[in-house]
Amino acid sequence: MTLLRTYPALVIICALAVGFSLLSPYFASAGNIEAMLGANAVVLIAAVGMTVVFLAGGIDLSISTVISASAVMSGLVMAATGSVALGALTALAVGMVFGALNGILIGYFSLTPFITTMATQLIARGVAFVMSAGIAVKGTPFFMLDFGFMVWFGIPALTIVALVVVVLALVAMARTTWGRQVMLVGSNAQAARFSGVNVPAVTFSVYLFSGAMGGIAGFISIANLGNAIPGVGDTLLLIIIGAVVLGGTGMAGGEGSVGRTVLGVGILAILTNGLNLLGIPFYDQLIIQGILIFVGTWMATRFGSRREI
Amino acid sequence: MLLKGLRDIASRQKWVAIAMATIVLGGILSVVSPVFLTLSNFQAILVQASVTSIMAIGMTFIILTAGIDISVGAILFVTSALFAQLMISTESYLLAFGVTIICATSLGALNGILVIRFAVSPLITTLATYSIYRGAAIHLTGAQNIPVPREMGFLGNGRILGVPVPILILIAVTILGIYVLNRTRLGVYARAIGNSERSAKETNLPVGRVTVAIYAFSGFVTGIAGLVLLARVGGLQSGIGIGIEFTVIAAVILGGTKLTGGSGTVIGSVIGAIFLVLIDNGLNLMNASPYIYDIVRGSVLLAAVAIDRYSAVRQRAALDAQRASLIAS
Repeated sequence: MTLLRTYPALVIICALAVGFSLLSPYFASAGNIEAMLGANAVVLIAAVGMTVVFLAGGIDLSISTVISASAVMSGLVMAATGSVALGALTALAVGMVFGALNGILIGYFSLTPFITTMATQLIARGVAFVMSAGIAVKGTPFFMLDFGFMVWFGIPALTIVALVVVVLALVAMARTTWGRQVMLVGSNAQAARFSGVNVPAVTFSVYLFSGAMGGIAGFISIANLGNAIPGVGDTLLLIIIGAVVLGGTGMAGGEGSVGRTVLGVGILAILTNGLNLLGIPFYDQLIIQGILIFVGTWMATRFGSRREI
Repeated sequence: MLLKGLRDIASRQKWVAIAMATIVLGGILSVVSPVFLTLSNFQAILVQASVTSIMAIGMTFIILTAGIDISVGAILFVTSALFAQLMISTESYLLAFGVTIICATSLGALNGILVIRFAVSPLITTLATYSIYRGAAIHLTGAQNIPVPREMGFLGNGRILGVPVPILILIAVTILGIYVLNRTRLGVYARAIGNSERSAKETNLPVGRVTVAIYAFSGFVTGIAGLVLLARVGGLQSGIGIGIEFTVIAAVILGGTKLTGGSGTVIGSVIGAIFLVLIDNGLNLMNASPYIYDIVRGSVLLAAVAIDRYSAVRQRAALDAQRASLIAS
């Protein structure tokens, strides 16, 4: 029972997995699971960033288009230099610049997270489209294309990157002072201030972190899609936020974990994959996804934690 | 002296700031371009701003109660899709108008009901309904583009006594919005809920009913905006309403309404939407790449919230100083 209270998402995941395996013989095959894992690496990495922001009581609407901006910039650098390492660094740097911008404005100038990140969302989107002239960046190094299809120990390389990010974030949140400070700022910023936590600095670091996650996700999206695409992040925001809240991390702050978000991403991944296998058109998938996000979030509030989400 | 007076007015009436910014921007544009200061250009700007302005009026009420509605773009799309579909199958304007407006209002009301009935935040609730509404509308039309009858264009491009119809509709909805906000209990209660939902509950205000009514009102005006947009575009297109929610929210915030609820004006939101169109207009005059628009819009929004924050901090510092000198004497 305790397990279910902490991870209400587990119920949904099991129900969906069992249901789809019965409905489609292909669902539980190794090939399908591999495809499902690889396709969701980008969302998982971005959702980790969003989770940490949520835990600190904020929101980062810009993460979706920061993915696009860092993918495009990274793609341009790789096309110009042919160096994958330089491309990865560029993606990370672009993400962190946007994260730092959010962090300074929200942490040090006390602007509202919602509007601030809504504005940087527009700016990042503009940067992605201006730099790429609105089309996919050509000249992706072959290594990136191969990387997208690599499988290590039966798991796609992209997923392994995402899982490494998840583990690092889990350790950082659970085992470091920083993690505890983030949780404290999220649950009670005033108490955090009185107990000597540098609240602006912690807030800044949280957005810097989610910016970095956006950058990594952007880089991974190139390997996943084969090109840096300026519109790649546009449709991801709903899925990222949906995955975080479905996992049971609330928007009020201080309640939830990166581990829960992995389950949330799992739910949406299984849902999309299963519905695709059953041949359900995308618009009906939108309806089902919306209902599931709402009901799942409600269940997480009702039966999981006792906080508003 | 004059500057101080203006600053006083701007700090008391939040919409004055955006009005002044709009006039300044208009002044700059009229210097840059000789065609700017013509009646036809003014009309064009207002027509262009009509859809987001009308939607911003509904959103103002929701943000006043410290809520948010991400699903308005989807409601806009549902309205357009339903109307186009009904015109094809029934060919009755009366039926099509009636059903779409009722549907838009109900979808808004559903948002409100979900927000108050389940303890899920407005952001998540409307994010979910955004997906549901949009999916349902595409399901309804089979993902096809549907043209609307030629006469329908009157709503988007027609004129009455020389004034474009969208402007008349905008004026009517603005007056309705100002009336509801300032002269009815709904408006007063909305402000009260935004200031403190707890005190509103403790004084036995019908918080639930007011919330539902406000989301329904937003759905209603979004329905009207949807019909205007459909008439202007000439038919249903799959891209209708995508991303418009952020433009609408930006207009409301630029207009001086607080995202935390309790304070805001209808006229400010309308001017905010016009200001955003002016920016587009200016960029257009400068032959800027369409992709730059997002960067400029985002920067303007950042500047607006930064200025608002700065003035709030200064006001508080002035108040503190006043208090300190009182205590000292």
